[in-house]
Amino acid sequence: MLLDRSRFRDHRLSHSERRNWRFMLTLIGALVLFLAYFLPFFQTRIASAHTTFIEDPAVTLEFPVLIHGQHATHAKTLGNGQLESVEVSLEKVNGVASTGWGWLFRSLGAPDRGALVSFIVTMAIPLVGAALGALLVVRSYVREAGVAEKLIPASLIISALSMLSLGFAWCHQVDFSTYLYAQSNGALNPGIGLWTAVIGAALMTAGIWSLRHETRRDLLNWWSLAFVVALTIWLLIRVRPYPYLEIWRFIGDGILVTLRIVITSYGFILLVSLLGGLGRISHNRIIYGISTLYVELIRGIPLLVQLLFIWFALPNMFRAVGEATQQYPAISAWFGQLRLNEYTAAVMGLTVCYGAYGAEIFRAGISSIHRGQMEAARSLGMSSFQAMRHIVLPQAVRVILPPIGNEFVALIKDSSLVSVLAVSDLTRRGREYMARTFLSFDTWIMVALCYLVLTLVSSRIVEFLESKTRFER
Amino acid sequence: MERSIEETDVPIIQIRHLRKSYYHGKLVALDDVSLDVPQGQVAVVIGPSGSGKSTMLRCLNYLEIPDSGEVIIDGIALAHASRLNEVRTEIGMVFQQFNLFPHLSVLENIMMAQRIVRKRNRQEAQEVAEELLNKVGIPDKAGAYPIQLSGGQQQRVAIARALAMQPKIMLFDEPTSALDPEMIKEVLDVMLQLAQDGMTMVVVSHEMGFARNAADRVIFMDDGKVIEDTTPEELFRAPKHERTKEFLGKILH
Ligand SMILES: Nc1ncnc2c1ncn2[C@@H]1O[C@H](COP(=O)(O)OP(=O)(O)OP(=O)(O)O)[C@@H](O)[C@H]1O
Ligand SMILES: [Mg+2]
Repeated sequence: MLLDRSRFRDHRLSHSERRNWRFMLTLIGALVLFLAYFLPFFQTRIASAHTTFIEDPAVTLEFPVLIHGQHATHAKTLGNGQLESVEVSLEKVNGVASTGWGWLFRSLGAPDRGALVSFIVTMAIPLVGAALGALLVVRSYVREAGVAEKLIPASLIISALSMLSLGFAWCHQVDFSTYLYAQSNGALNPGIGLWTAVIGAALMTAGIWSLRHETRRDLLNWWSLAFVVALTIWLLIRVRPYPYLEIWRFIGDGILVTLRIVITSYGFILLVSLLGGLGRISHNRIIYGISTLYVELIRGIPLLVQLLFIWFALPNMFRAVGEATQQYPAISAWFGQLRLNEYTAAVMGLTVCYGAYGAEIFRAGISSIHRGQMEAARSLGMSSFQAMRHIVLPQAVRVILPPIGNEFVALIKDSSLVSVLAVSDLTRRGREYMARTFLSFDTWIMVALCYLVLTLVSSRIVEFLESKTRFER
Repeated sequence: MERSIEETDVPIIQIRHLRKSYYHGKLVALDDVSLDVPQGQVAVVIGPSGSGKSTMLRCLNYLEIPDSGEVIIDGIALAHASRLNEVRTEIGMVFQQFNLFPHLSVLENIMMAQRIVRKRNRQEAQEVAEELLNKVGIPDKAGAYPIQLSGGQQQRVAIARALAMQPKIMLFDEPTSALDPEMIKEVLDVMLQLAQDGMTMVVVSHEMGFARNAADRVIFMDDGKVIEDTTPEELFRAPKHERTKEFLGKILH
């Protein structure tokens, strides 16, 4: 990581140190950034654009706010012909409306959700950065304990990103399009406010960067990596909406299906793992035998084969049982009617497979708790169930949580295998899109980035939960 | 327990021909041990390592199930007790390694079993716990976690935890042998107080000072058998058996 922990200085700030240039730089940067929003950002905007094609009819598009239309590419796709000319009609924006705040508030009323995300990324992130930077300085002054070190990584990342964001704001103004920019003859160039904001952000970033040795935290944590990956998706969608916006819209519901399958299965997996783990430490030979057999068999069969078995072979087995039991109409009818939809089959397959691995994790976790704990509880008159529930399991959870959390992350990835069961998950939607358009590179980059965001965010959540369940203090 | 001992004069602990072996009989840990402990008596058990002291103690509340023989607590034979958990609440046990619950605070350690076994409500359980913490001399550690306590403090919490169930019998398995010398006294003081209050106690310990001051009886075990069973005065003055003499010579220098 960027931070060398050995250089962390563990002492309180002396009076003079609190007034040193590092804090001043950060605070001044934050103030400049904040105040810059009162100055004009853009004094001209594109109200509409008229595009003519050599063969096809012309296309005219209206832009209600900061542009959110990808005019050139959009027009090209609509017209499907050779671009002849683009003519933009500009509109003056005066007074309060031209300031950063003016643009921000106008943008927040944006017509669609995609636009709103764009405006938050471009106009709001710098303000969040300024607030964090100011908070960092203020808390360092107020508190006795020295620098507010917790805030350093987040504020550093956000303030560095805010320079990028302000750049995006300008790109928005010309719709990421050099055609439109050329048409406007420089009228869309940023005003004094935007330049001031960039300078403020740069000062603040420099200030916080100079404070980096005051924290023992990693400057680049996995949250920010997840954030950067999400930002990359956003950027792809904004800069090249064709095909990325289209891919995003196409696979979006697949993300929801994947999440639904993963979360449902995970609930069942925890249950199966607990029961399996308890079975593996049971003194009852039958229970021990069954759970050991389950664990050993299932771990030896690939998940894909298990899924295919459940999806293709199980219904046939039900049918066969139904036919074989025709002398008992009730049983026969029940088996005859039994159907698995693809969603149930997917959840079943993932649960059976991951439950076996989870059972081993639970077993190891429970046996890692010293025997004396169970004995102490039993000697107080607790039943073995009570002792397990109140004494052993709460301690075992701490041991179990990291590996079982990793299982969640692995489950997200392995859930892509259910796409063979006609479940419209993220992977399958990607395959469908590719079959339609043959855009293999773009499709799979998008799918991969979506999985990355899911896995990075969930690893981080697991880490957070881990830190919450630690009880040695 | 329905039956009260004062009326019947039957010893509160009766051990009859207890045998216990490990590794399918290859290692005999208890070899035909019989013992009676009347109500209010303090018995100290001594003996070399591996002589079966812990095994006997653990058989008393069936943490270890004997191969044969009988343990009768307050008139109830444990082998037949369908209510083993209920009998266990009458027997407090203190371990060499304390075995406090590390995920619970001191107060919660003492309250937990009261709440779920004795079914006391939170307030009642807390009152009992606070009173006991007072008694063992660490009322200010209620909110601490076991890891934050010294060994002596942990062992006193463990005693309080066992006492919270209001047991009739207390078993101690080398309660001070994991402690630094300066902490041993604070634990022994609590045990001494308990003995003076009339608790029936079986104590495995090589603290001869405690045996001299508090014990009504000292039991010397070797090789899974009870070799000598006498008063502390008698034992220190004139041990009958050669093995006892040898052992005492070792621990008293
Ligand atoms: N769970 C067990 N499995 C196998 N052998 C055991 C078990 N518990 C005790 N033993 C054996 O039984 C014998 C008696 O053990 P016990 O713990 O009762 O001795 P002890 O007198 O308490 O010794 P110490 O003073 O070292 O605690 C020893 O040989 C020991 O190795
Ligand atoms: Mg022992």
